Amino acid sequence: MSAAFYSRLSPDTAAKFRRFRRIRRGWWSFLVLLAFSALSLAAELLVNSRPLVVHYQGRWIFPTYGAIHTGREFGFDYDYEVNYRELQTRLAAGPGGDWVLLPPVPYGATENCNVGEVFKPRPPTWSGRHFLGTDQLNRDILARLLYGYRTALVFAVCYVALTYLIGVTLGCAMAYFGGWFDLTGQRLIEIWSLVPFLFVVIILRSVIPPSPGWDLWVLLGIVTLFSWISVSYYMRSTTYREKAREYVAAAQVLGAGPARVIFVHILPNTLATLVTFIPFTVTAAISSLTALDFIGFGLPPPTPSWGELLHQGTGNLNAPWIVSSAFTALTVTLILVTFVGEAIREAFDPKHFTTYE
Amino acid sequence: MKRFQPVLPLLTLTLLAVLTGCGKKDAGAGPATAANPPVPSFPGMEADLARTVKEQAAFYAFKPAADFATDTAGLTWEDGSQLPEFADPAAKKGGTARIWIPDYPRTFRTIGPDATGGIRDYLLDDVAMCLLHRHPNLPGSYYPGLASSWAVSTATKTVFFRLDPAARWSDGHPVTTDDIVFSFYFMRSPHLGDPWYNDFYAKTYSRLTVYDPLSFAITLPELKPDLLERAGFWVPYPRHAFADFGPGWLDKFQWRFLPTTAPYVLHDEDIEKGQSITLTRLTDWWARDRKFWRGRFNPDRLRLVVIREPDKAFEAFRRGDLDIFGLGAPTLWYEKLADTDELVTKGYVEKSKFFNRTPQPNWGLWLNEAKPPLDNRDLREGIHYATNFQLVCDQYFRGDAVVMSTSSDGFGWRTHPTLTARPFNPARARELFAQAGYTKQGPDGVLTNAGGDRLSFHLLSYKRPGTDDILAILKQEALKAGLEFVIDIQDATTAFKTMQEKNHEVAYIALNIDAELYPRYWECYHSANAYDTPYLPDGVTPNPARKPKPDTNNMTSVANPALDALITRYDHATTLDEIKTLAVQIEELLHQDASWVNGWAQPFIRLGSWRWVKWPEGFNAMQARDAVEMFVFSIDPAAQEETLAARKAGRTFPPSIRVFDQYKQK
Repeated sequence: MSAAFYSRLSPDTAAKFRRFRRIRRGWWSFLVLLAFSALSLAAELLVNSRPLVVHYQGRWIFPTYGAIHTGREFGFDYDYEVNYRELQTRLAAGPGGDWVLLPPVPYGATENCNVGEVFKPRPPTWSGRHFLGTDQLNRDILARLLYGYRTALVFAVCYVALTYLIGVTLGCAMAYFGGWFDLTGQRLIEIWSLVPFLFVVIILRSVIPPSPGWDLWVLLGIVTLFSWISVSYYMRSTTYREKAREYVAAAQVLGAGPARVIFVHILPNTLATLVTFIPFTVTAAISSLTALDFIGFGLPPPTPSWGELLHQGTGNLNAPWIVSSAFTALTVTLILVTFVGEAIREAFDPKHFTTYE
Repeated sequence: MKRFQPVLPLLTLTLLAVLTGCGKKDAGAGPATAANPPVPSFPGMEADLARTVKEQAAFYAFKPAADFATDTAGLTWEDGSQLPEFADPAAKKGGTARIWIPDYPRTFRTIGPDATGGIRDYLLDDVAMCLLHRHPNLPGSYYPGLASSWAVSTATKTVFFRLDPAARWSDGHPVTTDDIVFSFYFMRSPHLGDPWYNDFYAKTYSRLTVYDPLSFAITLPELKPDLLERAGFWVPYPRHAFADFGPGWLDKFQWRFLPTTAPYVLHDEDIEKGQSITLTRLTDWWARDRKFWRGRFNPDRLRLVVIREPDKAFEAFRRGDLDIFGLGAPTLWYEKLADTDELVTKGYVEKSKFFNRTPQPNWGLWLNEAKPPLDNRDLREGIHYATNFQLVCDQYFRGDAVVMSTSSDGFGWRTHPTLTARPFNPARARELFAQAGYTKQGPDGVLTNAGGDRLSFHLLSYKRPGTDDILAILKQEALKAGLEFVIDIQDATTAFKTMQEKNHEVAYIALNIDAELYPRYWECYHSANAYDTPYLPDGVTPNPARKPKPDTNNMTSVANPALDALITRYDHATTLDEIKTLAVQIEELLHQDASWVNGWAQPFIRLGSWRWVKWPEGFNAMQARDAVEMFVFSIDPAAQEETLAARKAGRTFPPSIRVFDQYKQK
């Protein structure tokens, strides 16, 4: 990282970043995760049934994003989306200099890749570009893993953001205002935390019908309803400690309102420790999404997801490439996140900056 | 009979269990009419029965024994003795059959709340004796159960029965007309706690006439082609075991095992709560040497083991902890127990595929006409052409399943001689969708109409192995026709409730259909089961203010006066020929209406069984819906020992993979 980057941070934070970088295992895990995430965000360019470029009768077509192109546009006799692999074969055999450039893995995540053949898992083949094999509906496992990873990533990021937003706000508010607000809030939280999470998920999922594009957000909302409690406990206790300090009193004397005191003065002083929790929250997010999909209460089929793959894999142990792909992907990701988490915790450990006199 | 429950998971061999004894059932079909008059004090069962019989003298008639001869004069007595047996009379008794059930029963009652679980097959449906039974190889023929002979009077719509003098309850009490009277009292009692039975027994029978302890007659309100079956195909309950019947009996009888006419009884010491239940064969069962009953119910013990996961149950079968395992799912038959599997090649486990001929569960898409735009017939027909069940049959079921021709396939005759499913044809579907106004293709390939509405429907189903796969296939294929299915898989109870309340758009479900002589149409297709007030007073114009009628099986909300008229005639038909003629017309109307998209059927059962399970020649009876149902198999303990020893020592036997297609419908 450049000196300019560090110079913009407070010396304290910059020191923590330097420490984090020096913990090589965590730092490399962080980079690998970043790379995975970047890959998954560009998944359509790498693993997709739609090509990157089609050159057809003098036209340049970039079908990756945007509306479908029907078979009829390319001289087939059907009105649904053209099968680009078929088109590629046809154009390659034809005379006219037309061509199709497909991504490295030319399969979509919900697509039957072996049209005309029996639905059953098939082992990985290099020549067929099914690098991890296919699942029981002839879908490419690599495609499902990559798109599933992206879903999990988006889910985890939003989960962390929402969880901390709610947890921090409520936790700080309870401690800062104290008194009856704190007392009532705590009792409500105690009641809330006793609601059996899984039953609520099952009930809510049955009440809220699936709606394409919104399913992930609905699930996120349901899961977040229960995830903020531990964060609020933590923030409540730290805020109690912080608000007794002189700088808080000073801010109040200067006329700062509660929101300003909480978010501008107290929060930055508790942030260091809060940050160390984040990777573990990410782990929790990925695990719960996978678990819910595994038991069938997650995203509706045919959404690609790791839990669904794991479920298929355990039901098809005679096709070990399914379960091993999903299991490896899940384990590696969770381990990398945990490594990052450990490194952050160590980098932010206050013991390194405190000396006793 | 149609079962008013969705098809249960194909978990066990006992998959298509009938709801009640000998097929009298239908939970929740028609309107529940049970009146529940407040009874201030219940005088006890016998006193209440006496009072009921007196009050309902029009139903319960008692005549002198001498009248029996005069009332039956000129009638032909039958006893089914000319019919062939379907079991192997030489089958050996002995051994323990180990069968899995997915849940521990919530009651040992066979009637009332929670009583329709999988264990009832072994307490009642598959084992207890009715007055007479359908011959499973010869639909329309009957063999004796508790009744030794019977005579039908079509003129008076009455069937006369003589009970078998040897018939005994498992505690030694003889079966007499006291039990018959009690059974009607019981089934019609407001204290029963099961409105379906109240309704059924009130509507199906119009009089019971008792002559002496062994002679009685049952009269029906209408002449039916299957009058005999309606009168005789039900299980009586033992009067002497119900002395404390009355209000609150459901709780008292929750865990009581009652005397039975079945060959298997339950001893208290054979109950492992939550884990297993073991039934013991009565060695002196009264019917053990009777024709049609000999050679059946051969294992000495039936051990019903609770295994909650099908995968675990399969592993238990592979270990040899279960004797028989259904291999209906293609992954089981072709992969998990492939012909090349060591258990098969070494001859320890035998694979059998048996083509049965029996009404099939009507898997398909049920389009709810009450939900616009599904009220548009062109659009519904378009969905037919956009739904590729042929692909499901060919490539998911690997060519083993067939697309159903009508929703009532598998009866002994074809309900319509020529109708078949509409083929998958996206181009034709698009034409029909265009007629319904869906002409513009959106960027995602889904058609929209002028108002911007997308051609998208929620496709509701419930968790069951394979459902998500089949629906994912249909979804992908439907998009070729510009149609989007949004898959919604719920747990079974929630999904079925939604469908019964008609809150679905498209449902993927099947109803189990009992092996009756001819199909039922009223439940699923009559307007009375679609809306509260389907038509305006003219009887034809749809009532604009009509509300869907909940808790019925008309899950397509079809309401068509012409169809109603045909169904009414069908239900009052008195001969099978008339029934068949009307069925053709009904099926034609249903086909035109296009609210049920023909799904798939597997007209066979297939299973793996350990080498020590022996089957009769020909394997099973024609109408067997699972391997156990008819209880024609036997367990050979010597072969069991031999096989286990051989397995340990590595010795092998010739492999056995057999196909029985003598009943395959050509």
